[in-house]
Amino acid sequence: MSGSANAPTTSSAPPSRMVVDARGSWCPGPLMELVRVIKEEPVGTEFELLSNDEGSRKDVPMWLEKAGHQLVEVRSETGYDRYIVRKSHE
Amino acid sequence: MKRVVILGGGIGGTTVANRIRKALEGEVATGQVQIQLIDREGIHAYQPGYLMVVFEKMRPEETRRDEAQLLHKSIQLVKGEVEKVDSAANKVVVKGGKELPYDILVIASGSVIHPELTPGFVEGAHSFYDLANAQKLRAALHDFKGGKIVVSVAGMPYKCPVAPLEVTFMLDDFLRSQGIRDKSEIHYTYPIPKVFGIDTVAQPMQRLMGERGVTIHVPFNVDKIDPAAKTIKGVEGETIPYDLLIAIPPHRGADFVGTSGLGDKGNWIPTDRYLLRAEGKENIFVLGDATNIPISKAGSTADYEAEAVTHNVASMIRGEAPTTRYEGRVYCWIMTGLAQATYIKFDYLHPPHPPTPSFAHYWNKVIYNRTYWDLTARALF
Repeated sequence: MSGSANAPTTSSAPPSRMVVDARGSWCPGPLMELVRVIKEEPVGTEFELLSNDEGSRKDVPMWLEKAGHQLVEVRSETGYDRYIVRKSHE
Repeated sequence: MKRVVILGGGIGGTTVANRIRKALEGEVATGQVQIQLIDREGIHAYQPGYLMVVFEKMRPEETRRDEAQLLHKSIQLVKGEVEKVDSAANKVVVKGGKELPYDILVIASGSVIHPELTPGFVEGAHSFYDLANAQKLRAALHDFKGGKIVVSVAGMPYKCPVAPLEVTFMLDDFLRSQGIRDKSEIHYTYPIPKVFGIDTVAQPMQRLMGERGVTIHVPFNVDKIDPAAKTIKGVEGETIPYDLLIAIPPHRGADFVGTSGLGDKGNWIPTDRYLLRAEGKENIFVLGDATNIPISKAGSTADYEAEAVTHNVASMIRGEAPTTRYEGRVYCWIMTGLAQATYIKFDYLHPPHPPTPSFAHYWNKVIYNRTYWDLTARALF
């Protein structure tokens, strides 16, 4: 299960869905991880960003809007949030 | 005899080699365990010193030592470039054909800067991520008579995430000390909508930038640099002219990670964030910049990770399960001027809260820079 405590930090899950476990990523931060992987992956890829940084609730939607990518869903899990994001363009 | 092979003679590889030797002192002394470390040049670089070289807080020669002098005499140093890890056959192939079999492999091959990945970077930007360029930047600042300086991040991930903040604040102090701050502008760009990744750090740093008269451009993701026109263009559409550009180059993991099929698209190795084992590889541990763990690529991270890797390697050598967890601990200073600093200390569960910058924190960093060789690299304490 992608959200388990011992899940791989970044792993590919079929099809074109990538889990980015950025819990505990205080430096450089979860949004930096999201920006990085979005640059690397093709258009249409979906990402599950896991973050326990409260600032992500503001930063992630704000950046996605500016960058023109889609925030599909935000789920509150125990101790962290799961952001489902789709890359919309190069 | 059991063989432990370590790839990389940076902070992570050196300290973990010395710690494993210490943890398995009896086994190494009696020849039951052999420790080998492979390093390309056999020169150990203290990379946090490069920024200090730019501002003449350290001399270039203070950032380098012979690796052989730092390793315990019972650790075999193999000079050579790793060509491939054959994880199916449990062996490392060194360029030139030499092969080193292993029972346990520790990969500490760090990150490699690739300025050529950003158009115009090599011709148009200064940086301080290797010693030669740090010295060039030092000379350029010495000749600088005023104008517009832009500090920018050209790729992610990059090592020492706080470095752009540090160079900005040190630059401000430097220009004041030269009496040319009023003839100069400092512009800071960052890829996300704030000056650093999380609020507890970004807010005090942004406040400090306001006090120092730094102009902030966020979000700004570098598209290209035009060396002739002296401009830097962001994918968001903004173009900033500069007289002197200081940029953080793109980074990648080591080439052999890719050719060995161990890495992701950036040659970072998917790694269990707690046990620090390469995913799907029972006898390969990874530490430092080489992992894909989304925390600071920094010497401090490698140092703390080395504690867990040492315990886990020693356990496996003794036939026990590796159970020691790395909990995400990192401790980094942030220079906020030429003689003041703050710090961030955190783990996976606890975010950092940098204290008010002070001379005392700066002095602690100076002391660490001096004691690094014994304290961390030789793991004497």
